[in-house]
Amino acid sequence: MAQQTTSKPQSTPIKETDIILRTTGLTKHFGKLEAVKNLNLELHRGEVFGFLGPNGAGKSTTVGMILGLIAPTAGKIEVFGLELSKHRWQILRRVGAIIEEPAFYPYLSGWDNLEALARALGGITRTKITEVLERVNLLDRAQDRYDHYSMGMKQRLGIASTLLRDPELIILDEPTSGLDPAGTKEVRDLIPQLAHESRAVFLCSHLLHEVELVCDRVAIIKQGVMIANAPVQELLTQGQLIQIKVDDAVQASAILKNLPWIKSVKAENGYLIIDAPPNSASQVNKALAEHNIFVSELTSRNASLESVFLQLTGGDSGG
Amino acid sequence: MVRLIGAELFKLRKRLMTRVLLYVLIGILIILYLLLLAVSNVVIPAHGAQVLGEIQNLLGLPMAIPFALSILSSFGAVMAVILLASSMGNEYNWRTIRTVLICSESRFKLLGAKLISAGILIFFGLLIGVVAGFIMSLITTAIGGYAFNFDFVTGNYIWDQFLQFWRTFFVLMPYVLLGFLFSIVGRSAMPGISLGIGIFFLESIITTFMVLAGGWIANIPDYLLYFNVRSITSMASLPGEFNAGMAFGNGGIQLPSPTHAFITLAIYGVAFLVLAFYLFRKRDVTA
Repeated sequence: MAQQTTSKPQSTPIKETDIILRTTGLTKHFGKLEAVKNLNLELHRGEVFGFLGPNGAGKSTTVGMILGLIAPTAGKIEVFGLELSKHRWQILRRVGAIIEEPAFYPYLSGWDNLEALARALGGITRTKITEVLERVNLLDRAQDRYDHYSMGMKQRLGIASTLLRDPELIILDEPTSGLDPAGTKEVRDLIPQLAHESRAVFLCSHLLHEVELVCDRVAIIKQGVMIANAPVQELLTQGQLIQIKVDDAVQASAILKNLPWIKSVKAENGYLIIDAPPNSASQVNKALAEHNIFVSELTSRNASLESVFLQLTGGDSGG
Repeated sequence: MVRLIGAELFKLRKRLMTRVLLYVLIGILIILYLLLLAVSNVVIPAHGAQVLGEIQNLLGLPMAIPFALSILSSFGAVMAVILLASSMGNEYNWRTIRTVLICSESRFKLLGAKLISAGILIFFGLLIGVVAGFIMSLITTAIGGYAFNFDFVTGNYIWDQFLQFWRTFFVLMPYVLLGFLFSIVGRSAMPGISLGIGIFFLESIITTFMVLAGGWIANIPDYLLYFNVRSITSMASLPGEFNAGMAFGNGGIQLPSPTHAFITLAIYGVAFLVLAFYLFRKRDVTA
């Protein structure tokens, strides 16, 4: 990865002008179904924000509401400090988005598709079209019909289309879907670069490893309710595991399982893997020593975003 | 709005189907003229000289424009319905609807741009159809050995044809807007095309049965589309047997007055338009 952004220090106050997107009490009902419930989000300039959730969690509905495609039942969406319901066009002309999958006119070439969008948006030159196609390595195939493109090329055209209007907010839904490993890496490198250009990137992805690599902060929603919203590093620390080696693993396991602050203990390859609160390694060691069980190895093991996600969502598949 | 119209025209212009529809329309005109030319040389025993005279009259230059407009009012409607319903419905089929909405100042302006751009192409389609009809009339006049006489081109004639051109444009609109409405309702091109064209053809059959039924039922067609469209296309002053485009004659049916027809068709057009805008404005655009 070329340039991975780092989390903003918690102590740094966020200026109001740096808040690109803010949702307050965002709610959407489809009949009796509550697709999104009281969602409060904030996305800052220069940040790559991962938006995760199992299938049907309400991610696409949320994105649809942010883009003015779906009317919220309740709540407020502010983008660039403007309320979406009142300033839709002023906002959307500064937003680039691919929703679920890139969708273009199959009978037009890649170039013509971008030109059609450029004509609708206005003020976009042919040089700009060339520039964005070059940026996604699609210039040499720009005159080919869109329906002759591979999935990866379609994705790259989608990303090119989001860059046409020099957006300050980019919403990408599964941007690496269908890309080969080289293409995936290119896009993965591109996303943090975009955020560094004083934009904000809102990324929905199934690929939790990808989110872990490129995102500064993630929110996880399940059944329309946000169950986590924190910097990636913080989430990973929350899910940190302690790995120990002892002579009597059975007794050690029984002792640890009796401690109320320990969530789980499992044996794995001769080690005990303990799910305990952050910075509790010394307490684990002390508890075992009190029972004359001495630890011969003790290491912290970072949880992956995937394991945190599965833990938070109760094992639902990501999406 | 102008930007959106430009984008819509760009997409329609680049689309092969737009050209195919125009070629089909011109092809139909050419085939009809050639068929009429062939028939004009055959004596039809049942109707004899009167029908023969009308056909030869129809092939003549003075009738070229009204006849072309009459054909365009029927076949042109089919092409126009396909053009607009697919322009709207395919945005759903290709899932580009969300992309275009994000690039549009408002939903109203997007629909407006689609209607205006399709209207512009329908206008040019009619114009090209008229020119094609006139050229075919020149050709059949030459082949048939009839006289090239342009004395009929007077100020009144040009004014009449100008009015008839816009009448033809006007009678297409209810069907086109109906197709547009159903492409929005059905979120696809197919409902718009099938219902727009289906109603165009089925209504003529249904209204015929209604007239045959007599009583108050026979009055219902006066408030539907077909009779009102015929009332307006009949103003072209074609020879009797060809007065209603491809319907060939009024069959003794009493058509509503042109004023009644204009008002009724305008009400239908506005109703379809308002409904289409209302539904599109209110609707969540999901996957």
